[in-house]
Amino acid sequence: MSIDPTLWPKLHGASTHFPVALAMAAALFDGLSALVPASSPRKAQLRAAGYFTIILGALGTFPAVLSGLFMTKGRVLGHDAELFHHLFVWPAFALLVGLGAWRALVGDKASPRGFAIYLAVLFLTAGLMAGAGYWGGELILNS
Amino acid sequence: MNSALERKTLAGESARNGISQSVRAKLSLETRALLWALMLGAVSLGGALLMATPIQKISTWPFFTGGASSPAAVSPQLLAQGAGFYAQSCGDCHGDDAHGDEGPDLHNLAISDARIASQIKNGTKGEMPSFRKKYDDPQVAALVAYVRSLH
Repeated sequence: MSIDPTLWPKLHGASTHFPVALAMAAALFDGLSALVPASSPRKAQLRAAGYFTIILGALGTFPAVLSGLFMTKGRVLGHDAELFHHLFVWPAFALLVGLGAWRALVGDKASPRGFAIYLAVLFLTAGLMAGAGYWGGELILNS
Repeated sequence: MNSALERKTLAGESARNGISQSVRAKLSLETRALLWALMLGAVSLGGALLMATPIQKISTWPFFTGGASSPAAVSPQLLAQGAGFYAQSCGDCHGDDAHGDEGPDLHNLAISDARIASQIKNGTKGEMPSFRKKYDDPQVAALVAYVRSLH
């Protein structure tokens, strides 16, 4: 008895888009919330959306990373497109987990300065996730 | 008059102290959250990287390799034949060591044997030629076995 060797690529493809999309959505919601006046009810709504999307995005990284590790048979760097993919993936993974943890603990009690730093790191992470997604796509097109 | 002024002053100090305590509490919460975030980020990343070695080992188990396509099930003759075809037709683009050059790295391909065979036979327009006419099915199977043996 054995498993289909294509199971891991399928699982990785199925799981990896969630953290990518959720990290970008969190950056969008929280970025927009920073532009909305404090008096507007939209601010709290956008912050709530940003809160849940970053936490779900952070949780979503674990199945994506695990299936990716099985797919590459434990290769953490590789060559060419795979190397670039991993150079974006690993820092994005650590940052996304950290951001999700910070946001879950602080909730809506962040100071303006703390939230501004969080937002800057969130944009950096969303950019890294986009880079990881781009090189992941290159891997599929080249294989 | 004086007592009213004193009360006002005390109330002002109390309010300032309250704000100060609130700011401290916020900073404290954010700082504590930052420490948790750094720890969880580092543990997650470290854990994933540490898991790579055991995953490398268990990925060679027949259960994970799909059984029939595991290198152990392939004869040395078939592998040698595949290596010869590889050197003849594939090494120029994929590199002599198959770690990629113009074409991609062929080590640990996460696609099925059928997909590798299809790629060899059909190629990709503008990127890789078709080898359907050059190699028959048993020869393609030897190439697939060789490519599959690359770890």
